[in-house]
Amino acid sequence: MVRLITHNILACHAKGCTTNNFPLQFQDVSIELREAEFNADFLRGFLPRLEWAALVSAARQLGDTSLPEQQPEMLDDEFLQKLHHVLLEIHVEEGAMVCPNCKHVYPISNGIPNMLLAEHEIG
Amino acid sequence: MPNVKATTVSAEDPQAYEDAHVHAVYDSIAPHFSSTRYKPWPIIAAFLSSLAPGSVGVDLGTGNGKYLPLGPPGSPGCVWTVGLDRSRNLLEIARTAGGGLREVVWGDVLDRPWRLGAFDYAISIATIHHLATHARRKAAVKRLLESISPTHGRALVYVWAIEQDELSKRSIPVESDAAPTEAAKQASRGQDVFVPWVLAQPAEPKPKARRKGKATDREASQRSQEEVKATDDAAPTEIEPPKVFERYYHMFAKGELNELVTEAASEMGLSVGVPGSAQGPGACGMEIVQDGWERSNYYVELRRWKQ
Repeated sequence: MVRLITHNILACHAKGCTTNNFPLQFQDVSIELREAEFNADFLRGFLPRLEWAALVSAARQLGDTSLPEQQPEMLDDEFLQKLHHVLLEIHVEEGAMVCPNCKHVYPISNGIPNMLLAEHEIG
Repeated sequence: MPNVKATTVSAEDPQAYEDAHVHAVYDSIAPHFSSTRYKPWPIIAAFLSSLAPGSVGVDLGTGNGKYLPLGPPGSPGCVWTVGLDRSRNLLEIARTAGGGLREVVWGDVLDRPWRLGAFDYAISIATIHHLATHARRKAAVKRLLESISPTHGRALVYVWAIEQDELSKRSIPVESDAAPTEAAKQASRGQDVFVPWVLAQPAEPKPKARRKGKATDREASQRSQEEVKATDDAAPTEIEPPKVFERYYHMFAKGELNELVTEAASEMGLSVGVPGSAQGPGACGMEIVQDGWERSNYYVELRRWKQ
């Protein structure tokens, strides 16, 4: 699966591509929404580890505008529900992720991102 | 009956060697392999149950993803493990491991396709021993150490040991004619071997499709034919003779895993020792929290720290 929890971690690793290599940009994606079990402890603990701006822009690329530009300080239940949905319930099934720097394309097929590089691209 | 045989890695292209003797094999045996890999090992389960809520980790060489659903008791969903593997066919199984939807990535343990230090923890179980040279095994450990947080990242690594359980069905070739000094040298370097995987050709008409509901039947009929002595007994019911795939392993010698992680950490500029043992503020290090031998494997648990 490529959910935004994973997208928030992935970065381009092609040879020589070390700056501006995150976040990858979605391209030609098809998505599916699937309910996931809500776990407030996970969300509260994970929040400080998130790259917030990357999450907000990725969600917008997928058509979800529910998250505020700035990470809120109050973690009320309404916010955690939105965060849960964006992180764990939007599945990118097909498409690609493109490096903003070197334009390397990482295809997504059947929900699985292909992060392998050809031999000459390995750093 | 010796069913593990010594091999020599062709040094000129270890990548091609692994493609032929590891990656292609796992893609071919994926469903059968997966049906024999369902019991989590106790030390790994304990490691995963000790994680703080909100932790995100990676399973490097996740295989069928059997560790992806695990977490603290009572609330396994309060941590997330992303699975990485080189075998696309194993990932298709891993993505629904334990009946839920998992996050999996098709990639190589020699690469680092994520932000530096993005994970709170990493596990790499029975994976690094499939890399064909010392340099590649060390590179994999470096990628693992880069993947976890430099201030608190934890890791657990398992590899296959030369020292085998008496319950193990495998027998290990011993080079008895080697001179003592050679033998000692060999021991410190481990041993390169082929381990056969016997894949019976089932008598059913469509052996390749594996759908959810069928799994149990297939598991029962194909149960653990890995290195079994009784392959011959099963033969009369088979239409075709079983196919044998030879998988490459580097069997680790005693102490070799600790040396490998110590060397990798040192080359990254990390001091190896308990937190606070390095000079000066801001110094980075790696502690070996525990290490040992369990059921024919060596393991080491690591923690990164910054003072």
